[in-house]
Amino acid sequence: MLKVHAIAVRLTALLLLLLVSGFAAEPRRISVYAPQAVYQVDILFRDGVDYVGITDLLEPLGRLESRVDGKKFKLTFNSAEAEFQDGKRQCRVRSNKLDLPSNFLLVDGRGYIPANSVAQLLPRLADQAANFHQASRRLFVGSSEIHYTAELHRAPSRLVLSFSAPVNPSSVIEKNRVRLLFRREPLVGSGPENVTYKDVFVQGTNFAESPAGAELTINILQPAIVSTADAGRTLIITAVPPPAPPQAPAAAPQSAPASPANQPRAVRPHPFVILDPAHGGSETGSMLSPTLPEKVVNLAFARRLQRELEARGVPVVLTRVADNLLSWDQRAVSANTSHAALYVAIHASTTGHGVRLYTSLLPGAPPTPAQATTPSATQPAQDRRAFMPWDQAQQPFLAQSASAAAAIAAQCSSAGLAVHTSAAPLRPLNSVTIMAVAVELAPTGSTAEELATPEYQQKVAAALASGIAALQGRQGAAQ
Amino acid sequence: MISRKLQVAIAALVLAIFAMGGYLVHLKRKAESISSPPISETLTPPVNGPAEELVLYLASDEQNSLQVTAISSALPGDPGERGRLALHTLIARYLQKDSPHPLGPGSDLHDVYLLDPASAVVNLNAAFANSHRSGIQVEQLSVFSLVLTLKAQLPQVTRVRFLVDGKARDTLAGHIDLSIWYDVAAVSQAAAELK
Repeated sequence: MLKVHAIAVRLTALLLLLLVSGFAAEPRRISVYAPQAVYQVDILFRDGVDYVGITDLLEPLGRLESRVDGKKFKLTFNSAEAEFQDGKRQCRVRSNKLDLPSNFLLVDGRGYIPANSVAQLLPRLADQAANFHQASRRLFVGSSEIHYTAELHRAPSRLVLSFSAPVNPSSVIEKNRVRLLFRREPLVGSGPENVTYKDVFVQGTNFAESPAGAELTINILQPAIVSTADAGRTLIITAVPPPAPPQAPAAAPQSAPASPANQPRAVRPHPFVILDPAHGGSETGSMLSPTLPEKVVNLAFARRLQRELEARGVPVVLTRVADNLLSWDQRAVSANTSHAALYVAIHASTTGHGVRLYTSLLPGAPPTPAQATTPSATQPAQDRRAFMPWDQAQQPFLAQSASAAAAIAAQCSSAGLAVHTSAAPLRPLNSVTIMAVAVELAPTGSTAEELATPEYQQKVAAALASGIAALQGRQGAAQ
Repeated sequence: MISRKLQVAIAALVLAIFAMGGYLVHLKRKAESISSPPISETLTPPVNGPAEELVLYLASDEQNSLQVTAISSALPGDPGERGRLALHTLIARYLQKDSPHPLGPGSDLHDVYLLDPASAVVNLNAAFANSHRSGIQVEQLSVFSLVLTLKAQLPQVTRVRFLVDGKARDTLAGHIDLSIWYDVAAVSQAAAELK
């Protein structure tokens, strides 16, 4: 009797624990750093094992085709073929048999491999080395890792961090430490995690990795500034120079003390445009047909537009390259920290015809896209550094955004596409602090399937890319 | 061997779970029936009152435009009631067969109230938002049409906010922002640019 009671109590406790952990758990992801893209893949927890969707993992890295054949999951990645079976460890990659650390999973037609097998599988499938940092859930593909060295210089004291590739971290300068946050860069530690210095300025450094990225903390004894050199390959942490004695305003610029912060910075290449395929993950967007969710068309079209832009020499990044969900704020933050000049949100709809371009709708909006005159795109936005509420941050950029939309619309019109521009209260345009435009792709005829056809997508992508390239050219000429 | 008392206790608990589940479903249906009353597609004007001009901004998906239509109707004097009746008439038009901008069945609004003479809050019902088609254009047309029709009846209103069943909502159907105050002048300007 006592035994039954004990079992019942344990089962109840286990159920409660599972319930609590289920409600409290945040979605866990693996961050993938590859030469082609930086992206995240959701983790599925099953039977005590972390799994990742193999299509989510491979899709951004190359050409992927997959199909389910009964309990078998077959895929072709570039030229490599692989076959997995639901509930079995053994799989076949090319002509070799391989044992996974846990069983392969097939859930709702999607194949899942154990997360700790990605470093084992990727080199065989993609012919690229893979290094998986399990604790921080960071996966490095190919030669994507960035290494660094730290060197303390004296008289005056300064810490020089040299990186194997350009970096652009967020820096947080606090009273006793400087935190450098590398969210997109594949930075890895190159030596001991903690280094101690005996110095009047720098006490030591600490390197830590987490799923959100890498963080390098420099412990300091005096207020510091961070400056960059060598096209972003070098970061220099120096003590703030003592205030200069008051001088006549006209003489101040010439007499400012020489410090690394005052030296001219090397110009780093930044993307010109950030493309944001709307929706993703559990948020499908509108159902364009019973089997065609908007999120699929948005991502496919964004990739096509990316290729068209790159072919025209326009540097471009995407907010997402896999089927994952981003919040509105995450999308705005991605745009605002991307150093891009233009944000383009991509949507699709079966209503209406052709291409529709939208800019933000804010009170006191100056010109709508149709009223925008092209020269204003090259004029500086008013008071960009003033504090703006998050949901009105686009305000100083409205005129430029309207002008960008008008320029893109002109190219679409030239390509024979029905195009319409207007202002719309669309998220997250209001919170973007660069030129921001949303594109809604609609079919020319009455069938939604046209939206997914390569021919139609190619025609629209080429027109949009030409418009964006022209905009880039105009901005370059203005600078 | 599980004792008889324990068996009875477990059986009672299982029964209680099913009974509570059934009661929950009953409550949910009751709540839905309260929040989404069936809309009457014909406008019943007040018994008393002179006929006035009621201006409707009717959306057309095909033309991506707002058509201004004026009808004659008796309207109440209270601004909130006046606004509610105007929007109710507009929504009823969208629910008719062959509507150029169809809305989902049961779409309606609960009420319109004014925080001050210039700030109006439109409280839509859940069916309006939950059954609304998703897309920038269709959602934009719905919101613009509601804002401008309200403005036509209440010219003093300069900003409009939407609630759904009395609660704030992020977007209408995944695209157009419902969490903000709409500046009527900005909406008028943007609507003028529609085809």
